[in-house]
Amino acid sequence: MKIFTHNVQLPWNSLGLIGVLVLLVILFSIMSEYFFSAVTFRTLVNQIPALTVIAVGMTFVLLVAGIDLSVGSVMALAAAVMGVLIADHQWSFAAALLACLVVGLTCGVCNGYISAHWRIPSFVVTLGMLEIARGGAYLATDSQTKYLGASVAALGDPVPFLGVSTALLIAVAVVVVAQIVLSRTVFGRYMIAIGTNEEAVRLSGINPVTWKVLVFACAGLLAGLGGAFQLGYLQSADPNAGIGLELSAIAAVVIGGTSLSGGRGSVVNSFLGVLIIAVMQTGLAQLGVSEPAKRIITGLVIIAAVLFDQYRDNLGALFKAIRV
Amino acid sequence: MSQRHLLCAISMVLALATTGCDPSGDAGAPAPDSDRVRVALVMKSLANEFFIDMAAGAEAHQAANADSYELLVNGIKNESDLAQQVALVEQMMASQVDVIVIAPADSKSLLPVVARAVNQGITVVNIDNRFDRDLLRGMGLTIPFVGPDNKAGARAVGTYLAQHLQAGDQVAIIGGIPSAFNAQQRLEGFQAAMTAAGMEIVSVQSADWEQAKAAAIAAAILSEHPQLTAILAANDSMALGAVAAVRQAGKQGQVKVVGFDNISAANDLVQSGAMLATADQHGRDLAVFGIEYALSALATGAAPADKKTPVDLIIKGEQ
Repeated sequence: MKIFTHNVQLPWNSLGLIGVLVLLVILFSIMSEYFFSAVTFRTLVNQIPALTVIAVGMTFVLLVAGIDLSVGSVMALAAAVMGVLIADHQWSFAAALLACLVVGLTCGVCNGYISAHWRIPSFVVTLGMLEIARGGAYLATDSQTKYLGASVAALGDPVPFLGVSTALLIAVAVVVVAQIVLSRTVFGRYMIAIGTNEEAVRLSGINPVTWKVLVFACAGLLAGLGGAFQLGYLQSADPNAGIGLELSAIAAVVIGGTSLSGGRGSVVNSFLGVLIIAVMQTGLAQLGVSEPAKRIITGLVIIAAVLFDQYRDNLGALFKAIRV
Repeated sequence: MSQRHLLCAISMVLALATTGCDPSGDAGAPAPDSDRVRVALVMKSLANEFFIDMAAGAEAHQAANADSYELLVNGIKNESDLAQQVALVEQMMASQVDVIVIAPADSKSLLPVVARAVNQGITVVNIDNRFDRDLLRGMGLTIPFVGPDNKAGARAVGTYLAQHLQAGDQVAIIGGIPSAFNAQQRLEGFQAAMTAAGMEIVSVQSADWEQAKAAAIAAAILSEHPQLTAILAANDSMALGAVAAVRQAGKQGQVKVVGFDNISAANDLVQSGAMLATADQHGRDLAVFGIEYALSALATGAAPADKKTPVDLIIKGEQ
């Protein structure tokens, strides 16, 4: 079986997003004299590993025309299990990390199998999992934040000389690997094919169920990994972590130009989407913009970025559309 | 060429939105000079009136003392979003502020990042919700707490409620986020007052400070315990939820509700009799107390010590 196919991703697809990102950085640098600094950027990128890996999983799910609403809860559950195992059962960090990933993977496989095998919309199945995993997280932690302290800081603490955390390095590696999987492997081709026309895939003798389960398994596993990152970052397991995170992840992926109806998308662009959201959050916080304004501005930027992306090949048409 | 036009359009939207939506209008307007102290106020949910009031109080104070310090106010989306609050502290460190006045969303989990801020030379003052004392000691940190005695305040509310009940009456308590120190203190205060007056506490549950959750829990308690005579809620948002549940159960007058914080909606209810009492810990001034404390500590270099702020019982006839 041939594993690798030709590259279908053209690098200039990212140019529009990089433009938006640079523009935001310039704007914030003008408005706040403290924004344009190494400390700010280091702080900013060390906050995004969890959202980054979850957005990667979400990209895969959206590519096959599915959706995963459970990622925030699954992240909290995986982190909760990891925290309880370390704090109350004296598990080693590595063993607890493994358990954390297994929890995420299990949730993902359940999501994928139930939705693909019984052909139930993934919106419904993952909505159920959102509740189940959140309940599990409360159950595991007794609804209390488990404080773990510096013993779990390994993932969140900055690597000497680089200044960025191990979690970020892992997250960037995940982005690179996932982009290669998407654009150069058979799995990637099948994802795009399933998202474009699932029936055609079935008729050509490929079983989409297997591949869809694999896609949701990836999303679950990455949510588990995000949980471990979050745990290292907060040095505690918070059963309330990641409420609404699925929306941030979907926003990042959609900003990155991935289609909600499947078949089109890019992992690298999702990462750029995450960066845009992070720059917005940091910049607006440093300016001390009021909370309602923050949310309005963030919403406007999401829409503007997607609009820009939609028309990136034909900006003339956008202006025509605006004028009409 | 047209690409540049679009970039301009987006930047204009952003710039408009920033200036248009920020009534304080200080988004980069005054050139910050280095001799003014830079104070960051890191709050909990700015969707909660209590914290909105606190922020407004701080902003008014800053406006009156504009030549002595500048103020950055930030809050999180919901009360339990620890990650966002940790991120905010880091962002304030990156902004090189001199002072961080923080109302932590959790008594323990914010400490590692706050410890880093202290080590970076930032003066940190803790308001509203107290950091865990054992953990502070364990980390070798002294962070002054400027805030109300929640336990005494809750006990005063509970004692007043007990005067309107008979010994042996059934009561229920709706608590805040269990891991938060102020939630624990208020719970202890309520429990102490109820036990002292000989009431039977039939249910203690947490509604995470939230109104909708409290309404659901109160409704369940009301149907589970038909003899219930009072609900003690650890904040006013939850008390409002409890009042809604009492009304839906048709038990107005039979079940008394007390709260904590004296937000305006709760004060209205106290005046109309739908709620019996609440406590005012002068939330509007709480951040100001913290800021003034930090400024004087910076000026005098005095050793950090805790400072108690007043808590008043609010009943019908008192605003």
